[in-house]
Amino acid sequence: MGLFDKFKSRGPLPKEPSPDEGAPKAAKRRAVLLGLDGTPFTLVRRFIGDGTMPNFRRLSERGSLLQMDTAIPDISSVAWTSFMTGANPGRHGIYGFLDLQPNSYKIYFPNSRHIRSETLWDAVGRSGRRSIVINVPSTYPAKPLNGVLVSGFVAVDLNKATYPPELVARLREMDYRIDVDARKVQESHDALMEEILTTLDRRVKTLLEQYDTGQWDLFVGVITETDRLQHFFMDAIEDPGHKYHSAFRDFYGRVDNFLGAIAERLRGETLMIMSDHGFTGIKQQVYLNRWLVDNGYLRLKENARSVEDIGEGSLAFAMDPGRIYLNHKGRYPNGTVGQADARPLLEEIKRGLSEITSEGVPIVKRIYDRDELFDGPCVSFAPDLCVQPVYGYDLKGAVNKRELMDREIFTGMHTQDDATLYISADAGSLRSGKPHITDIAPSLLDAMGLPVPQSMDGRSMLGRD
Amino acid sequence: MEQKGFTLWFTGLSGAGKTTLARLVEGELKSRGHRVEVLDGDVIRTNLSKGLGFSKEDRDTNIRRIGFVCDLLTRNGVVAIAAAISPYRSVREEVRKEIGSFVEVYVECPIAVLSDRDVKGLYKKALAGEIKNFTGVDDPYEPPLSAEVTVHTDSETPEQSAARIVSRLELMGLVAASETAGYSEEDEEEVRRRLEALGYV
Repeated sequence: MGLFDKFKSRGPLPKEPSPDEGAPKAAKRRAVLLGLDGTPFTLVRRFIGDGTMPNFRRLSERGSLLQMDTAIPDISSVAWTSFMTGANPGRHGIYGFLDLQPNSYKIYFPNSRHIRSETLWDAVGRSGRRSIVINVPSTYPAKPLNGVLVSGFVAVDLNKATYPPELVARLREMDYRIDVDARKVQESHDALMEEILTTLDRRVKTLLEQYDTGQWDLFVGVITETDRLQHFFMDAIEDPGHKYHSAFRDFYGRVDNFLGAIAERLRGETLMIMSDHGFTGIKQQVYLNRWLVDNGYLRLKENARSVEDIGEGSLAFAMDPGRIYLNHKGRYPNGTVGQADARPLLEEIKRGLSEITSEGVPIVKRIYDRDELFDGPCVSFAPDLCVQPVYGYDLKGAVNKRELMDREIFTGMHTQDDATLYISADAGSLRSGKPHITDIAPSLLDAMGLPVPQSMDGRSMLGRD
Repeated sequence: MEQKGFTLWFTGLSGAGKTTLARLVEGELKSRGHRVEVLDGDVIRTNLSKGLGFSKEDRDTNIRRIGFVCDLLTRNGVVAIAAAISPYRSVREEVRKEIGSFVEVYVECPIAVLSDRDVKGLYKKALAGEIKNFTGVDDPYEPPLSAEVTVHTDSETPEQSAARIVSRLELMGLVAASETAGYSEEDEEEVRRRLEALGYV
């Protein structure tokens, strides 16, 4: 089944089955899902091979370690939402860390209340089972569930990030940190590395405490420090002489210790480990709004800071990462593009973007039309195009850049086709085909003997073809 | 968001928590600007259904009457919350079909727990034979096969159950998310700074 064949409309939201309906009368199976934000499959393979991650190596000998495709756009808010809903963005409604308010150019930051599709733990809860969900990005503010939830990035208030609220006191006692403060890099890279290690340490302590003392049928715990490390230190892993090369490997050694700590606690649960995308080094950051301005598709007001400062007569604009929107009449207040003009304009923009090169080589790998990626009730506010770059070229939505490409402080960028998925042998045999991030929630429900809601586009990996 | 009417129907055994949850959800929806009316089974039997007994025929009539009023309210943009044992599946389905915009909440609690709690003293009387046709003792209860929400009141607090119900209504697009639940202006600034620090803005 191809990546895009998965996104078929499945009809309206399902009703809740009664606990007796649908699910086979299997013993109550528990499942554990550990997330390593941004950890590439190829890096895991490397660290298994060179001894950096011996626990992951042992796990991989007792299960399946697979390379996985993630959502497009391949950014954490979209990817984690696609994971937790098992649905494509056309169904869950999250297309990026920013979006525009309806009929407006005003930016807002989607949060959990904007997710339009039910989550894995909603489905588990409907069957009367409990979930503990710690640090999954895009779950802020914490929504009530049958169990415990502590939101992940971007969560700014621990009180609103925690359900039930009674847990906040314990989190404060443990000095739990919702996130790495990436602004530490302004002090120094040493300060940032220290911050990443401390946050990891506290994260692991909290995850293990909740694992050991909480009541759960589904345990979901995510480490986001991996992503932060790779945004700022990706260059360190390729060069053994780099100042932070050892620190990078030591960091993954600590992550591996955590995996080992969970592995030794398992008592027959299905274990899955995933990442929400991969990572690679950055050669250049590429500013699509600069390209749109230079090619006459976008006008900006003076001293523009964001797409909110779009100028009259604009035909298209871009948002991070690689999203292109036509300035449709009827959709935006100063829309210019009529329905009949949309397709020719999109083809023209696609041709133009495909001709962008760096060092003589095209930087665009593929450009997707909206309907190739998105299907569902939220398609009306989807981007018209999603641009996938070649490795090394990070597509950004900044409007205040004078050059088409440059470098900033970041050394790592996301990849769409090199995410990680591990499934323990307890799950039984797996079907063939490269997994997609939307397959994980159906797989976990399947492993637990629970029905998969119709709202999920993904397909369980469990079972023979 | 435009305020749409709908019917929220709580069904479950006596003492399971239907009225408690109906009132909690009523309060939350009113605070979000909805017009809400609660039709509580015990109250309805003192007015609209006064004189009806507990035979199957009378129970069905009672539910149809409550359903009729819910339908009127729903059509006029009001959230109608019904809290009644409503033990027979076919009549509940008949009401659902009639109203259309209908959300069923199964308030589940094991009968052993209910008869231990015995909040109204009725289980003791029913088990002693002093009350006849008592649901769960000598009259049947047919649980829903496809309720939109099932809450388990032996293992959740009322607040937790109510929050799950409201969350489900938000997911179904019947109720707008609370304005205080997302990012405040201050929060938004902090969110922007954190996203900038990672190059996302």
